Amino acid sequence: MTTLEQTGLSQAGQVVHKHYRSLLRTRRLYTLGSLGLLLAILVGALLFAEASNSGKFIERLPYFFDFFIHFRPDEPMEVVRAMFDLPSPYADGSFKYDYEVGRVYLFGEFYIPEYFYQLLVTINVAFLSTLIGVVVAFPLAFLAAANATRLAPLRFAVRRVLELFRAFPEIVIAGMLLAILSLGPIAAIAAIAIHTIGALGKMFYEVVENADTRPDEGLRAVGGNWFERVRFGYVPQVMPNFVSYFLLRTEINVRASTIIGAVGGGGIGEVFRLSIGRDHAAKTIAIIILLLVTIIAIDWLSGVLRQRLVGDAAFRFGA
Amino acid sequence: MLKISKVSRRFGSKTAVDDINIEIPAGQMVGIIGRSGAGKSTLLRMINRLIDVSDGTIEFEGKAVSSLKGQALRDWQRDCAMIFQQFNLVPRLDVITNVMLGRLNHRNTLLSLLRIFSEDEQLMALKALERLDIAQTATQWAQTLSGGQQQRVAIARALMQEPKILLADEPIASLDPRNAQIVMDALAEINEQQGITVITNLHTLDTARTYCERIIGMSQGRVVFDGTPDQLTTEVARELYGADGLAEAFSEAMTSTTLEAAKPRQKKKKHMAIVPGTAFAEASLPN
Repeated sequence: MTTLEQTGLSQAGQVVHKHYRSLLRTRRLYTLGSLGLLLAILVGALLFAEASNSGKFIERLPYFFDFFIHFRPDEPMEVVRAMFDLPSPYADGSFKYDYEVGRVYLFGEFYIPEYFYQLLVTINVAFLSTLIGVVVAFPLAFLAAANATRLAPLRFAVRRVLELFRAFPEIVIAGMLLAILSLGPIAAIAAIAIHTIGALGKMFYEVVENADTRPDEGLRAVGGNWFERVRFGYVPQVMPNFVSYFLLRTEINVRASTIIGAVGGGGIGEVFRLSIGRDHAAKTIAIIILLLVTIIAIDWLSGVLRQRLVGDAAFRFGA
Repeated sequence: MLKISKVSRRFGSKTAVDDINIEIPAGQMVGIIGRSGAGKSTLLRMINRLIDVSDGTIEFEGKAVSSLKGQALRDWQRDCAMIFQQFNLVPRLDVITNVMLGRLNHRNTLLSLLRIFSEDEQLMALKALERLDIAQTATQWAQTLSGGQQQRVAIARALMQEPKILLADEPIASLDPRNAQIVMDALAEINEQQGITVITNLHTLDTARTYCERIIGMSQGRVVFDGTPDQLTTEVARELYGADGLAEAFSEAMTSTTLEAAKPRQKKKKHMAIVPGTAFAEASLPN
């Protein structure tokens, strides 16, 4: 133990130092403990995965590129023809070259190419379900947040409902809804919306719980009711993060809607599964390009949108 | 010696600081006064290089600090500590760590990231806190402290940098008069005892007159006054603040620009002299 002369600290200062060091020890102990636990879990999980694998990973590795070598269109232009439903010179009456069949005529000779139309179906499912999810998750989040809702039983109930909603993957919910809503985009929308409510609700209420409670305190002192306090005490604070999660969810839901499409939900996923299953390279590559462009476009759009909603101040550096 | 030559700063088409020339010898305590928007903050932020100059050069001991980059720039920022109106501490980090963060530029990055600080640094931080009379708060989160306490933590952090210059951007504008006095006293003491140059932006003439040996008045980005407190006559003040702003400039009670804590308006310095010690019992005793 260092003495007063050595440290130059007063008696009280030394007590504080001792207290700080004991806190530090505890924190380090917890940190090391957690790290050790994490490592143990990681090693265990890897060993388990290795044990439950069928063991052909290494043997099959040399054939990894076979798929890409055989899966090639007749010529690069075929991809463009598949994408825009133009007649193919290779046409032989088979499904492989029936590009024009999928055209969706709007009026006269004007048509939307099949894959663009299907992409629209998929994006529509994603947007609608995200929107429904946000509208429902938004109020639920404030009911589930401990700082906004004092009533513990209500909070408990809302949180359990949110957990129930996000417990099942979209695809499982879609399967359950199949009997009621039959195949197609409506079932997909319902399934994705339910999962989105659960997932976004959790994100949202955690954002609310991280918010500063002082504005709320101020509004309580003013005599504001619960709705007013939420509206002015929390909403302005949490909005930027809500927007971020909303946009991320939109992106996730485009993927989810593609996957559900592949198992009968309609949209680009369905045609993608068919074309890759039937070994139609030109069609498959056209769809992959469209999907990639869509994700990039959504990412760019969400960036623009967020900057608008959050305000330029958050993006300025320094000054 | 800090030498500011022909320095300008423009934001878009607006000129915030316009062709400023100042020389500040080592160890001086300088107050920069002027209305809000006069370019005081911009000037300080350019000295610390939080923002860059548009034109001109800033030199310190013959070195052009306005064009430094990378490690050299960070070294300059270490030598040129800054404290802010809103304290700019890390709210969810304990006070002593906040203070030790002042050492960042002196130490190994990896150790810093792992939050490993040596015994010496802990003691140094505690001594700095003790000097400012807030050592008891060391293990609390910074955000739990009152404004005056937070500003003292910020000063302690600045001291940990072992700076050659201390810049203070409206250090007392968010504080009540009692805490304002404590903070200004601390700055003056640092200036006197360690010979650190202190350059502080101030709202009010009273404070500048009381604490600073040299006052620089700014208006619309230009220096319109540079001299001793005695030379600062009412006419000069009128030019600086305009006829309307004069009352505000002289009034200590109007110091605060934010509506943070409850602050009765009559808490003037004069008022304080009537009932010393009783009117301003420490509101939030540290536990």
